[in-house]
Amino acid sequence: MTLDAVLLIASGIPLTLAVTAGAFALGAVLGIPLCALRVSRSSTLHLAAVAIIMLLRSIPPIVWLFLLYFGIGSGFLRVGPVEASVAALGLITAANMAEIYRGALRGVHSGQWEASTALGMKPWARFRDVLAPQICRMALPSSVTFFIGLLKDSAIASTIGVGEIAFQANYISRRTFEGLEVFAVAGLVYILISLPIAAMSRQLDSRLRERVAQ
Amino acid sequence: MLSVSPREERADALVSRREYVRVEGLGKSFGPHRALDDINFAVRSGEVVAIIGPSGSGKSTLLRCLNQLETQSEGSVTLAGITIDAAKPATRQQLTELRRSAGMVFQSFNLFPHMSVLRNVSLPQERVLGRSRKEADERSRALLSRVGLEAKADQYPNRCSGGQQQRIAIARALALDPKIMLFDEPTSALDPELGLEVLAVMQELAEAGMTMIVVTHEMHFAETVSDRIIIMADGRIIEEGPSAEVMRRPTTERAQRFLNAVKNR
Ligand SMILES: Nc1ncnc2c1ncn2[C@@H]1O[C@H](COP(=O)(O)OP(=O)(O)O)[C@@H](O)[C@H]1O
Ligand SMILES: [Mg+2]
Repeated sequence: MTLDAVLLIASGIPLTLAVTAGAFALGAVLGIPLCALRVSRSSTLHLAAVAIIMLLRSIPPIVWLFLLYFGIGSGFLRVGPVEASVAALGLITAANMAEIYRGALRGVHSGQWEASTALGMKPWARFRDVLAPQICRMALPSSVTFFIGLLKDSAIASTIGVGEIAFQANYISRRTFEGLEVFAVAGLVYILISLPIAAMSRQLDSRLRERVAQ
Repeated sequence: MLSVSPREERADALVSRREYVRVEGLGKSFGPHRALDDINFAVRSGEVVAIIGPSGSGKSTLLRCLNQLETQSEGSVTLAGITIDAAKPATRQQLTELRRSAGMVFQSFNLFPHMSVLRNVSLPQERVLGRSRKEADERSRALLSRVGLEAKADQYPNRCSGGQQQRIAIARALALDPKIMLFDEPTSALDPELGLEVLAVMQELAEAGMTMIVVTHEMHFAETVSDRIIIMADGRIIEEGPSAEVMRRPTTERAQRFLNAVKNR
């Protein structure tokens, strides 16, 4: 396998990262209101959130992708392949992040909300200064695990022509018939991206744990 | 610091003082369960009232109704001039003022684990009173040294003992210049020795004239520091009066049983 081929695979890294980061950002933000609905005391809102989360999670990512790209994208709205990938993976991420936030919320002692209420802090200050930092801290390990999973799932974007790592590998293997080597290199690239992310998160986690472990 | 003021003299002086708390016909139900039933009492400025009684008798619920962490089912609560009636939902402004006037200390401390001790005390001042960071920090350091913990300012709460955490929680509540302090079993989660350092801070606060309502199992504290004792059972007040009298000559049979049980423990 030539150096050119390796470089071509590596040229897919920016789009892999873009799709992953875009989908994760979208999901991390949309996950907040979804989590809020999920823990709502109103049973209508609660059931709606449960249904949305179940729907998003039980349909395979590639089906969501085709639905958005060929379904909506071909009709009244023009959607590019990158946007469709970010949207499809982002929606699935939202469902998962909502559940991760919910777990983290349960891990924060109820006394925290009570104490900040008793101190007279306004709801927004209670959320921003007291709850959110603790939720983020609790949600960090599961979020990173999900992010690394998402990085690999972003390979499905290749099916609609996004020129990311898997797309480039596929392209080369078809021209050179060196499938095994080419996909081995692609796999290695995914590992090399994941490792530092996992290491960074572990370090951050243990630093936070050391400081504020309860 | 630990000397006890002559309480009889204080009690006389109290008669002329302003009422800070008035509770009238207060009731609270959790579904079919009656947690509080027709509670009536008043607390004057500078008075220290201890609430004792078996667990499940509604002591925490009563305190939590005072600062509206729980909304009552019936009756009204007046605290520092703000009246909240069960018939009419409290406005947000009323709640803010009420909670600013009442500092609360919990059994489980509830310090914010992700902030330094100094931030714990300063942040509420900035958010609630709009103090600048510098003003808030100055006040925080003064209060931390008052509870003997100036050296802990830059530590995180989990580096402090339970007794220290509770004293920090007291400083955090005092930093908002409350008119009255509510304590819900502040020493129940602590070893006796650590409990003593918290009780010493509370006694000092009482002697400095702070109005306090203290839910406690510490009979010695109730008898020697508080002016008045309220005994609760099954969501009702079953006995109320000057501390020494209630402890030595309870009038109801239920109160006698409770006091015998705790004294013989
Ligand atoms: N949030 C709640 N929901 C249902 N029942 C409650 C709740 N809070 C308290 N109770 C009940 O009300 C009664 C009084 O509780 P509490 O005020 O905590 O008593 P105490 O502080 O004297 O031990 C208990 O029977 C308790 O189980
Ligand atoms: Mg209690």
